[in-house]
Amino acid sequence: MDIFLQQLVNGLTIGSIYALVALGYTMVYGVLKLINFAHGDLVALSAYIGLVIMMQLIGVVSSKAVIIIAVFIFTAIIISIFGVLLERMAYRPLRKAPRLSAVVSALGASLLIENGIMLIWGPMPKIFPASIVPNINWNVGGVYISLMQLLVLVISLILMIILYFFVNQTKLGAAMRASAIDQDAARLMGINVDKIIVTTFIIGSSLGSVGGLFIGMYYRGIYFNMGWIYGLNAFVAAIIGGIGNIPGAMLGGMLLGVFNAFISGYLSSSWALALTYVLLIVIMIFRPTGILGERVAEKV
Amino acid sequence: MMGNKQKILYGGFLLILIVLPFFLNSRWESVATTFLIYSSVALSQDIVLGRAGMFDMGHAIFFGLGAYSTAILNTVYGVPILLTIPVAIILPLVFGIILAAPIVHLRGDYLLVTTIGFNIVFTQALKNNVFGLTGGPNGIFGIASPSLFGYSLSSQTAIYFMAFFLLLLTLFIIRNLETSKIGRALHYINEDSLASECVGINTRFYRLYSFGLSAAIAGLAGVVFAVQFSAVSPEAFNFMQSVLFFTIVLVGGPSSIEGVLLGTFFMFVLPEMFRQFAEARYLVFGIAMILIMIWRPKGIWPAKFGRIPKYFFKD
Repeated sequence: MDIFLQQLVNGLTIGSIYALVALGYTMVYGVLKLINFAHGDLVALSAYIGLVIMMQLIGVVSSKAVIIIAVFIFTAIIISIFGVLLERMAYRPLRKAPRLSAVVSALGASLLIENGIMLIWGPMPKIFPASIVPNINWNVGGVYISLMQLLVLVISLILMIILYFFVNQTKLGAAMRASAIDQDAARLMGINVDKIIVTTFIIGSSLGSVGGLFIGMYYRGIYFNMGWIYGLNAFVAAIIGGIGNIPGAMLGGMLLGVFNAFISGYLSSSWALALTYVLLIVIMIFRPTGILGERVAEKV
Repeated sequence: MMGNKQKILYGGFLLILIVLPFFLNSRWESVATTFLIYSSVALSQDIVLGRAGMFDMGHAIFFGLGAYSTAILNTVYGVPILLTIPVAIILPLVFGIILAAPIVHLRGDYLLVTTIGFNIVFTQALKNNVFGLTGGPNGIFGIASPSLFGYSLSSQTAIYFMAFFLLLLTLFIIRNLETSKIGRALHYINEDSLASECVGINTRFYRLYSFGLSAAIAGLAGVVFAVQFSAVSPEAFNFMQSVLFFTIVLVGGPSSIEGVLLGTFFMFVLPEMFRQFAEARYLVFGIAMILIMIWRPKGIWPAKFGRIPKYFFKD
């Protein structure tokens, strides 16, 4: 039972990171119907940029809390700028092109960012400083929870709640949902769809940057091509929940994290990746719209 | 039918390929051989992606199944290379149909994601040494060279011409496909699957047919690939490799033979030429992929389908 609960806690931690990254995929897919393959690499980039900012601040600022907050805010701003640039340069010119052209453009952007990271920071892994989040562990009835895990869980939860209210309660959020359902109709209602798309990229990239920083601080080792594997896993999470569906991405991320943790804990870690994708295939065959996705009749 | 211009173009292209190995040093001959193999795989991928219009991003599976069949039969059971060819064609074909059967009805991106999933499961299975046959992460070494009537075809030029015949065969199959009932059915399904179903085309059958055919060609290409490097490893058939074939088709021009060949040159030979720039080249390639898609969204050399008479258009 202890192992079960311990793996559950570990799984939820990783799952909330996946969920944060998955939100970026699902929101962009919602408005553009495009798999943003470069999103994972933006996540990797955010870990590197966060590390640079952190190293600059460590000598200057003494309070660790201030450093962490500053790192999160500055990284989010920088990555949002990258996200907007990405949309502007690689996706906007292709909005009227065949759908697969935009996919190739996304793959090109991913290659560009990944190799850009390698050229700047080199092919060897970089390590996050150990003591930035104090290594405190609590023993709750035989289950160990570290401060880092608690931070990941709480911050992710807060961000997701804010996002949920933003999308469902505000005017901008309503415009975003309208653009996702029918861009032309949204335009007729006076919604500036271009502005909505840019907003989507800003929100998706900032959430992704938080995810990337968590990956860096939780696992500590970051490497230039980690965007692919984290990106793909998060993307699978988005699909499991139902692509284009925001609560779906959150749920999918959590489920995937827990699923992964249980397989690593009970079976073998070398099959964890393969079984993740077996799960994906099974869901695709039996319920292609995901757990929360609604079945929509295809328009003819 | 082929026009005169096309006949000259293809004749010239094939002639260059025949004399090419006598002018190249060993490294470039190896690059040219791989170019021929990748072209065949990309052309086979194009049957599914360009002609049938299904977003398949896991084509390296079938390429890998062919290569691994040859490697395992040869190194474990001592079967001569040429006798492994039927297995290396039939196994990917059967797998292609089995894997595609439950998913061909899926729309665009869903199919793409599922094929990515298949590819990752495939590579993970190879790495985890399933049935103790696949040799784990390092793969299988020491694949023999084929021999025909007692002559060993181990020289680099012999392998080059094996790859050349592979491409020739692929081109022949695709030429025939283009002008056949099946090719026309696939084209129609790609344009409008609902309308094609309404006029009585069995879309499911033709989609599976395209998967089977393309998997079989890719499997045969895998045999030549295994022979060229006399080794196979999971990395050569991973998801990134599928992305490469996928990109080749779209950058070159879907369902255009010239386009796919150009795409292979652009995505595989060009990076080899700029090897001295080491890793910076992929950065430039990322930019180039974006720019090509912006300027030529239908590929560098898009396919042309007949000519629509002028009077259909308003001035």
